[in-house]
Amino acid sequence: MGFIAVFIWSFVLWLVLTAGSKGLLWSPEELVAGLIFSGVIALTTKDIIGEKASRFLNPAKWVGFVVYSIGPLFWGMVRANLDVAYRVITGRIKPGIVRVPVELENDAQYTILSNSITLTPGTLTIDACPEEKALYVHWINVTEKEPANSEVIAGSFEKWARRLGR
Amino acid sequence: MGLIVKTTARATIPLIGIFGAYIVSHGHLTPGGGFQGGATIAGAGILFLIAFGLGEMKRRYNHHLYSALEGLGGLVFLGAAMLGLGVAFFYNTLWHSGPVFNGEPGTLLSAGYLPVMNLAVGLKVFAGLLSAMVAIAAFRRWNE
Repeated sequence: MGFIAVFIWSFVLWLVLTAGSKGLLWSPEELVAGLIFSGVIALTTKDIIGEKASRFLNPAKWVGFVVYSIGPLFWGMVRANLDVAYRVITGRIKPGIVRVPVELENDAQYTILSNSITLTPGTLTIDACPEEKALYVHWINVTEKEPANSEVIAGSFEKWARRLGR
Repeated sequence: MGLIVKTTARATIPLIGIFGAYIVSHGHLTPGGGFQGGATIAGAGILFLIAFGLGEMKRRYNHHLYSALEGLGGLVFLGAAMLGLGVAFFYNTLWHSGPVFNGEPGTLLSAGYLPVMNLAVGLKVFAGLLSAMVAIAAFRRWNE
């Protein structure tokens, strides 16, 4: 299964890179070369990408990723940028590192949530500890020293990460 | 490295690899070529080495295989250069009268022996750079 996941993942990037070789589409020789190179890449990296990577081949998940990135994530970034601009001008900051307990099961969920928290300015994930089910987050304006869940830092991101990475 | 670096490396190593293959195989059409693409692919290997550590790298790295691949790259380059030896060394006979690689300029299968040489150089650079990095990482201890 790892082979198929890597193959499709790299072939899609090849298609994006070589688009426009015949009008707006792909010439047959580019397609054949893409199949060969993706096959080589898939053979060499099939046990690096992880055993369960093929769950991301589910189209419902792609829709989820698109909706998440142009919906909650983009909106969260806009809001957080404005908030940081306000803090830059007024200088009202109270920085600190807080421990955020999270309810996630696998690596992909931790990665999605940590990257979302880091992408929204003002919060920066320092470490993810799956064994104690917590993230350590550097926060520009600490309002709660020991948050009970990630709601106050990340809003709805944890719910989305749980759904997208499952 | 931590969990996030490892998970991101799992997803990006194939992408770096296919991007390097794109640079190598389009060396006669777009900027880049054998060395640049080979160094890009070696970057994927170095990312693996750094993200997963030397122990994991040692389990998957075969010195003899990489040594043979590097030699193979050099030999293919030399072989492509000798194809037109009837006229001159490095004579591009594939382009002038060859059965393949003599398509319309601007397409993938054009430019004679250049794509073959780019692939050879890419393979050689990848194998050489990655072996060098693994050898440096496996150096026995820190000497004062």
